[in-house]
Amino acid sequence: MPAETPILRVRGLTVAFGGERAVAGFDLDIAPGEIVGLTGDSGAGKSTLGLALLGLVRPPGRILGGTVELEGIDVLALDEARRRRIRGAKIGLIVQNPRASLSPLHPVGQQIADAYRTHEGGTRAGAAARAVDMLRVLGLNDPERRVHAYPHEVSGGMAQRVLIAMALGCGPRLLVADEPTSGLDVTIQAQFLDDMWQSARRVGSAVLLMTQDLSIIANYCDRVVVMQDGRRVEDAPTPRFFAAPAAAYGRTLLSLRREAPPAGGDGPVLLSVRGLRKVFPLRRGRKVVHAVDGVSFDIHRGETLGLVGESGSGKTTVGRCLLRLVEPDGGEVTFDGIDVRRAAPAGLRRLRRQLQVVFQDPFDSLDPRWTVADIIAEAIEDRPDPDVLARLLRDVGLDREVARLPPRALGLGDQQRVNIARAIAVRPALIVLDEPTSALTPLARVGIIRLLRDLQVRLRVSYLFISHDLSTVAHLSHRVAVMYLGQIVELGTRAQIFDQPLHPYSKALLAAHLVADPSRRRVDQPQAEALAGESPSPIDLPPGCFLAGRCPQAEDSCRAARQEVAVLADGRALRCDRVAAALA
Amino acid sequence: MSEMLEALHPPPAQVARPMPPALFLLGCGIVALSLVMMVVGPWIVPFDPGRPGPDIGMAPPSLGALPALAWAVLRGLPHAPVHWFGTDETGLDVFSRVVAASRTDVAIAVGANAVSLAFGSLLGLAAGTARPFLAGLLMRVSDLLQAFPVFITGMILVTMAGRSELTIVLALALLYTPIYIRLTRAEVLAQRHRGFVDAARALGRTELWIALRHILPNALTPALIQASVTIGLAILMTAGLSFVGAGVRPPTPEWGLMIADGSNLMVQGEWWPSLFPGVAISFTVFGYACFSNGLERYCAR
Repeated sequence: MPAETPILRVRGLTVAFGGERAVAGFDLDIAPGEIVGLTGDSGAGKSTLGLALLGLVRPPGRILGGTVELEGIDVLALDEARRRRIRGAKIGLIVQNPRASLSPLHPVGQQIADAYRTHEGGTRAGAAARAVDMLRVLGLNDPERRVHAYPHEVSGGMAQRVLIAMALGCGPRLLVADEPTSGLDVTIQAQFLDDMWQSARRVGSAVLLMTQDLSIIANYCDRVVVMQDGRRVEDAPTPRFFAAPAAAYGRTLLSLRREAPPAGGDGPVLLSVRGLRKVFPLRRGRKVVHAVDGVSFDIHRGETLGLVGESGSGKTTVGRCLLRLVEPDGGEVTFDGIDVRRAAPAGLRRLRRQLQVVFQDPFDSLDPRWTVADIIAEAIEDRPDPDVLARLLRDVGLDREVARLPPRALGLGDQQRVNIARAIAVRPALIVLDEPTSALTPLARVGIIRLLRDLQVRLRVSYLFISHDLSTVAHLSHRVAVMYLGQIVELGTRAQIFDQPLHPYSKALLAAHLVADPSRRRVDQPQAEALAGESPSPIDLPPGCFLAGRCPQAEDSCRAARQEVAVLADGRALRCDRVAAALA
Repeated sequence: MSEMLEALHPPPAQVARPMPPALFLLGCGIVALSLVMMVVGPWIVPFDPGRPGPDIGMAPPSLGALPALAWAVLRGLPHAPVHWFGTDETGLDVFSRVVAASRTDVAIAVGANAVSLAFGSLLGLAAGTARPFLAGLLMRVSDLLQAFPVFITGMILVTMAGRSELTIVLALALLYTPIYIRLTRAEVLAQRHRGFVDAARALGRTELWIALRHILPNALTPALIQASVTIGLAILMTAGLSFVGAGVRPPTPEWGLMIADGSNLMVQGEWWPSLFPGVAISFTVFGYACFSNGLERYCAR
């Protein structure tokens, strides 16, 4: 680490909301060019600390004491007018939800230029030119045209880059980024963090990156600070943190790495899907959206199949089609020898009890007017025995006391446990898990993953695990299917997909995926697998391979011929004629 | 109101406080009073509201005489019967009639709303879950009902079916049902794609069971809030219908009728037979408005 004088020097910073201290006597140093990751569970006080560095605090709170020295000047001791000049000029702030942080009434270029002129002065034209330069530096194509776009006209990734341009426009000495990539797709997240890493290294500014995602920290941060109840509980260089975390928070989150996913998944075929198709008609015109387009896979008893893909790839629709929560338009679904698509209403209702589902948003999946006991009892036909209820709650790691509570009295992680209890109450053979952990904090996520593994071993239940988060999929799945634009492009064992992906899209997805391991940092690896541009619209799909427009190895034949699934010698399914032919 | 208060008293440390509860409490008080009076009003009045007394067109006691009168009544001293609000030109005691009329007005308003809430929420549930064609038909019919000028519809119905309390309840219920249909349907459309609805489906519950047990209870809140406003409006409406001669039959104590009867005397300086029932209406409607406003803020949190 650079041993020169730190840019930021925080001593004893304390922020209180009423009697409660959200930040309590916090110390922090950041050296020039250093990127420090600040992590901790929700409510640990990360965002409050970030705002306090700028001398800001959300209304009920007050800064009680401490110093925040920025290159030797105590920000907190300044009057409001001088402090405002430092904000933006010397400290840049990037917050969550890029689009909400931009004014919808003004073009993005003007917003960058205004932020610049506020601090640096100069002419309007000069500032406008500076805005174009900033966006070009951040790797945006055609910045001259894009500066005239309004926030609603730009993608989430570009909105985030506009915010960085605003934050970096004046060359601040300190950049505070609060969960800057939450809500972005992995590929865009990786682009953004690469940009930020490079600009920090280039201008030698200090960066405080607040995130709950340890893989981001492993890849981009030099040092890790763990916060808990407003206090600093750990401060270690990144490699040491990942090798031997000192605080309980880090130990819990990293504990999953050392555990192998459950064995099994070699039972007889339970669910068989062939050529599943679902189109959604558009309100106007005769066009349709191809949500699911010829999807085929099997799930064995006691097995977990992971289904991964970016948002809009149709993975959720596949899960809903299996339960006929949406009616498929074509293909066959056979569950335990029964044709699901031709089941009569009464038969379907019986079938559905074999086939359960857990959704992404745990709170939305529980009737807010019912108690936990009523919710779980809904799954059991007859009046449930209190002992049965207590056993189910214990199975998912909850106290029997929670039975009397309404769902809103529980945290999101416990709410998801209630959802799981309701699903296992009917003793299903297969549970469709539709992003069950993506609404949860990392700490709650670890608990749910453990629980799902444990239940699989005890109940011999199969899972279809749908997620965009490759790490979670790796922790649970025996086999993995990768979806792109409604099609499965590659399906193989976990080792096949994660260690040696063959399809260009799988490769790109894995390249963008951040591994929570500082020895495998993305920034140290050559970036050859990046895809160009963005996904085509699922309304107007190209005639040949859907990826041809973005694939670096695309040939003329890819653009002309529709790609078919080939089963390779090692058992994996691949939808890429070029790679399949090369291997044959 | 609360925005103004917040502007006047900026922080120290306020976390989005709900409306100052004073108005809401006042609303609760008025609503409770109106409901109590609806039940016991005619039993506690000092004079029979239907039988004329000997004093005709007597003015209410002057403000100066009030303390002495109140003292006499409270101490149980011997005194002449007091007409607090005076008497009208047939010798009926205005105070007794204003109090007794709350049974007519509030009962009609509450009854009409209970009927339209029951039908409206069930039809709204149907409109939110039925096939598009049926739902569309239902909504167009309710549009048609709503498009009629409210007063004229009420007058036609009452004229056709006769002037009785029941007719007025049904006429008002017909007018208000579309409001509840629309509100419930909008909420049903929002609720039917919630996760717990799909989860119930996955558990093998029938659509009817899901609609009645999950969707309807969660979709009722806006309709219940609306009911407290609409009751106030229905009181105005009941009085209005009586005023134009399409409401309850004349001797019945009713605020609108009393205003209509007294309005001719206004020019002669006899203001009291009309003023007091008018104040009663304003007071009650204001109370329901405050109540619903507070309820809405409470539910929005």
